[in-house]
Amino acid sequence: MHQTAGRGDAIKHVFMWPAFLIVLVVTLFPLIYALVVSFQAIRIVPPLPPRFVGVENYADILSSARFWGSMWTTSVIVFVSVALQFVIGFALALALHHNVPGANLYRVTFLLPMFLAPVCVALIARMIFHPYLGPVNDAMSGMGFGNIPFLTEPNLAVAVLITVEVWQWTPFVTLLMLAGLQSLPDEVFEAAKVDNIPAWRRFRDITFPMLLPLSVAVIFIRLIEGFKVIDTVFVLTGGGPGTATETLTLFAYNEGFKKFNLGYTSALSFTFLIIVIIVGTAYLAAAQRVMRRYA
Amino acid sequence: MAHVELSQLTKAFGAVTVIPPLDLDIEAGEFLVLVGPSGCGKTTTLRMLAGLETASSGTISIAGQDVTDTRPGERDCAMVFQNYALYPHMSVRDNIGYAMRVHGAAPAEIEARVGEAAELLGLTPYLDRKPKNLSGGQRQRVAIGRALVRQPQVFLFDEPLSNLDAKLRVEMRTEIKLLQRRLGTTTVYVTHDQVEAMTMADRVVVMHAGRIEQAADPITLYERPANRFVANFIGSPAMNFLSARIEGGAVHVGGQRLPLDPADAARLGDRTSVAFGIRPEHMRQAEAEAALSFTPEVVEPLGAHTLLLGHVGEEKVVAQVDPRFPAAPGEPCTVPVDMTQAHFFDPETDIRL
Repeated sequence: MHQTAGRGDAIKHVFMWPAFLIVLVVTLFPLIYALVVSFQAIRIVPPLPPRFVGVENYADILSSARFWGSMWTTSVIVFVSVALQFVIGFALALALHHNVPGANLYRVTFLLPMFLAPVCVALIARMIFHPYLGPVNDAMSGMGFGNIPFLTEPNLAVAVLITVEVWQWTPFVTLLMLAGLQSLPDEVFEAAKVDNIPAWRRFRDITFPMLLPLSVAVIFIRLIEGFKVIDTVFVLTGGGPGTATETLTLFAYNEGFKKFNLGYTSALSFTFLIIVIIVGTAYLAAAQRVMRRYA
Repeated sequence: MAHVELSQLTKAFGAVTVIPPLDLDIEAGEFLVLVGPSGCGKTTTLRMLAGLETASSGTISIAGQDVTDTRPGERDCAMVFQNYALYPHMSVRDNIGYAMRVHGAAPAEIEARVGEAAELLGLTPYLDRKPKNLSGGQRQRVAIGRALVRQPQVFLFDEPLSNLDAKLRVEMRTEIKLLQRRLGTTTVYVTHDQVEAMTMADRVVVMHAGRIEQAADPITLYERPANRFVANFIGSPAMNFLSARIEGGAVHVGGQRLPLDPADAARLGDRTSVAFGIRPEHMRQAEAEAALSFTPEVVEPLGAHTLLLGHVGEEKVVAQVDPRFPAAPGEPCTVPVDMTQAHFFDPETDIRL
């Protein structure tokens, strides 16, 4: 009896340890290592021995104007672009759902931007908005406007980044909202039609509330993803002019891989993680309140 | 003039015509039931009436107004769907009052009408619940409530009881019928259940392959079916059909001779080939001396009566006899046949003779 139990125990370890080790090596170790590093001053170039500095890195971050600047830039890009993505994406999904003529063609073309690598999208956008060679400025001068410095004027550069984000990620919203629309029962809408409910009221009172849980999820995914934006910014503006379009991730990248200031970068990454968690939790709590009214 | 008129109405989906030209007049206040097997076009007809399907040709008019091309909402019909089609995120109160609210009725009036409908349908305790917290019967009552607060010209029911269990179906059947009688609203009701059709309707329209086979009150349908399809569809268990010939005032079937009612004999004359229809329940007791012998293969006692299932010649026959009728599987027996209830159909055209 005792032996059987002993053998069972051995097998238990055989099954358990590989999984635990994988989690440890792949997830926990880097996370803990980064956390430890975030409390140290480490420089690779020029190499300095690690020195424990406590929360000094975090204090530096919170008192850095550049951090708050990148925080503001990221927030503006994320909130404005996600709002536009949702509104435009939902509108497109509605149009496709109601089978406008040529819906099949649109369905494919609308989804294309999503399949492109963000770097390619940014390169294309950079050409389109180029001050001298870009077609946008060509058109602008054709209409009598002067040359507009799209990528070198801070507000315009942020606007261009938002445009590119919207262009690339609206299809994602369209795709999910279209799937949601197609899963709604037809009879409910037929009942509303027979009851002479006008189209916009059908949308406001029936479609929108029924798709609310899906909308919450879609916006959540886009918010979290949006906060990580780096490639588009890196290619399009490089964070410039100055640091006017620098996002949180790009700021961390510059600290880590241009200045090799690893302790500070780790602290920055953790700050970033905390911000995303706070924003996500606050958003979900707010969404819960809205959904409770309907569910 | 009829309240609802369908004239030369057709519907085609692509090249497939599901409704050949159809004419139907519905009187004001009438409870009309469209009944038929799946795919007979009854639901399509109802949906065309509601405006959810466009008619391929022909016209529909309600209260003297041509509504063929009118949007569904402007026909003043209210519809109850098979799967209830309630707004899942609204309470019972909001579901019932929603259309009134959208159309700008005064809150006090909405409250009064919703309360009245809820009272009528026994929904008062559930007004603040969401549909997902209701049983099937309650949900269907909400759907009916939503239709009746609108006080429409016409009620349309699309198989509203199909999703309910048998007991509830019988209860709701009575409730809907009583409600319609009390409100006096013209009603078109679609079902595939002939018992529902017979029990509820003022007039039953039996449909088959998009055509109206017969439109008549339930008793006429049962006693004088216009053709073999109707005879077979109405009544349970279904009517027996036996190939027979008529000679010398009697029906000859499978070597047996069943004397006819003199009036029928005079009307029908001698015929070499005829479809002889007799309902199982008319093989129970008879004034006439006719009787049919066969060997039951299965005996099904149901309590109130017993079914004997067997063959006469090559053809199946079912007799519904008294529970104490002396019969056993495999032993020949003779059942009386009420020849005054016999039906005869032309074997070629299936039309009643």
